[in-house]
Amino acid sequence: MIPISYWRNRRSYTALMGSRCRACGAEYFPPVRVCRKCKSRDIEPREMPRKGTLITYTKLTEPAEEFGKQTPVYLGLIELSNGVKLVSTLADVSESELNEGAPVSMVIRRWTEEGPTGIIYYGYKFKVDAAYSMS
Amino acid sequence: MNRVFIRSVGLVPVGEHWEKGLADLMYEAASNALLAAPGIKPDKIIVGNMFSGYAEHQEQLGSLLASTLGMAGVSAIKVEAACGSGGVAVHEGYLSIKSGEYENVLVVGVEKMKDMGTGKATKALSMAESAEYTQVAGASFISLNALLSKVYMAHYGRKDEEMASFPVIAHRNGVTAAHAQFRKEITVKDVLSSAIIADPIRLLSSPPAGDGAAAVLLSSKGGEVEVLASEVATNQFIFQERENLLDFMASRIASSRAVAKAGIGVSMIDFMEVHDAFPVVAALALESIGISKPGMAPIDAMNGRFNCDGELPIGTFGGLKARGHPVGATGAYQVAEAYLQLSGGAGKNQIGGAKIGLTHNVGGIDSTCAVHVLRSAI
Repeated sequence: MIPISYWRNRRSYTALMGSRCRACGAEYFPPVRVCRKCKSRDIEPREMPRKGTLITYTKLTEPAEEFGKQTPVYLGLIELSNGVKLVSTLADVSESELNEGAPVSMVIRRWTEEGPTGIIYYGYKFKVDAAYSMS
Repeated sequence: MNRVFIRSVGLVPVGEHWEKGLADLMYEAASNALLAAPGIKPDKIIVGNMFSGYAEHQEQLGSLLASTLGMAGVSAIKVEAACGSGGVAVHEGYLSIKSGEYENVLVVGVEKMKDMGTGKATKALSMAESAEYTQVAGASFISLNALLSKVYMAHYGRKDEEMASFPVIAHRNGVTAAHAQFRKEITVKDVLSSAIIADPIRLLSSPPAGDGAAAVLLSSKGGEVEVLASEVATNQFIFQERENLLDFMASRIASSRAVAKAGIGVSMIDFMEVHDAFPVVAALALESIGISKPGMAPIDAMNGRFNCDGELPIGTFGGLKARGHPVGATGAYQVAEAYLQLSGGAGKNQIGGAKIGLTHNVGGIDSTCAVHVLRSAI
């Protein structure tokens, strides 16, 4: 993690700040400068919905070294309720719940840390909704 | 406009070169090519490389290679497009000659992966993806390919044993390839019982880390192989942003343009070096080029269509899986291998009667794609 880069993008990392095209209404995460669909440059910031469904996931046994302490990393491909897709680490995983279409919600969790005395970076992760877990 | 030919090639066997640095690897590949083309003096050098700065704290590889060859003064640059760096470097060499500005261009792809160890190499490979929005979320390059594999397999109902046909083909072809990293056959059972790295991708369905360098000497003055077309295209950079994750748009655009510019039909291609980094990438490559119907490439592979004695051989020297995948060098290896096939120099890996070959090299998950169509000029 690059500290200033983290700070620069903090709204995206902690509040899923993305973009909305004022011309055609298309929404994006991460933020865009040009609308992919209508090519408009009239773009405004827009928080993404914090709920969605799990499309699929993978269990990663060899993550990049800064995530080594979290091995295995569960990585999900998620479709938010507005149709935007994102890739996120999954939190509090019970593998039997990781089914296609499972409802998931954003939570704030520890991403990485710079040693015992350094910066701790927090950001979004997603977890399967409690109601689904109990059903 | 000038026509572009391949005059000679030089290959370093892919593997663990603890005793050789970046300059040593580049020098070895370049020297092999230059010694095979006496009297040819390159007036431009292009180096394809992905992460020499991160891995070896070395940039400016163009000038480094020029001086290493005793050619300081010559025009020299490095180009980068992640795992597609080698193919893009050949493309830039092609354009240099096509434009009429240069007559002989030495293209070298190089990567030094082993020095930095697995953890750092995993980080280095993830640099193909968005630093601000993909790497931060804990996604490694393999894990994104794992997600893509799952989407592909769920959409088309493909099974692990069908996907495993690709590494089996690659390893079979690597056995007799002198420059291949792995020269040992494997079975579908071996693939499916190897360690899981990111489900469904296993150790034997992902490419090995290796050091390597490959050189291709391009010339306007003739050679045994002509480069008929060289095309580069891009897909939406962040993989998960794509509306259809299974559309390899860069591969589709680059290959259709290349085939059209070469003035051939896909059915005229005798063999292909495809970017078979993972089974799903090989499958989507073959489908986007129009070789297999959507979802059917693993079945075609299982039925022997892509074997060396099949209808359309792929990865004729082992592909990324068995020849190895020194990332920024891979695209240059592919073009060099196509040269060997089309000039009759492929030895035990020779595809009989090969006249036209296609190489397909991608950076990231189809974020950049370089395609070449080559024809025997003997």
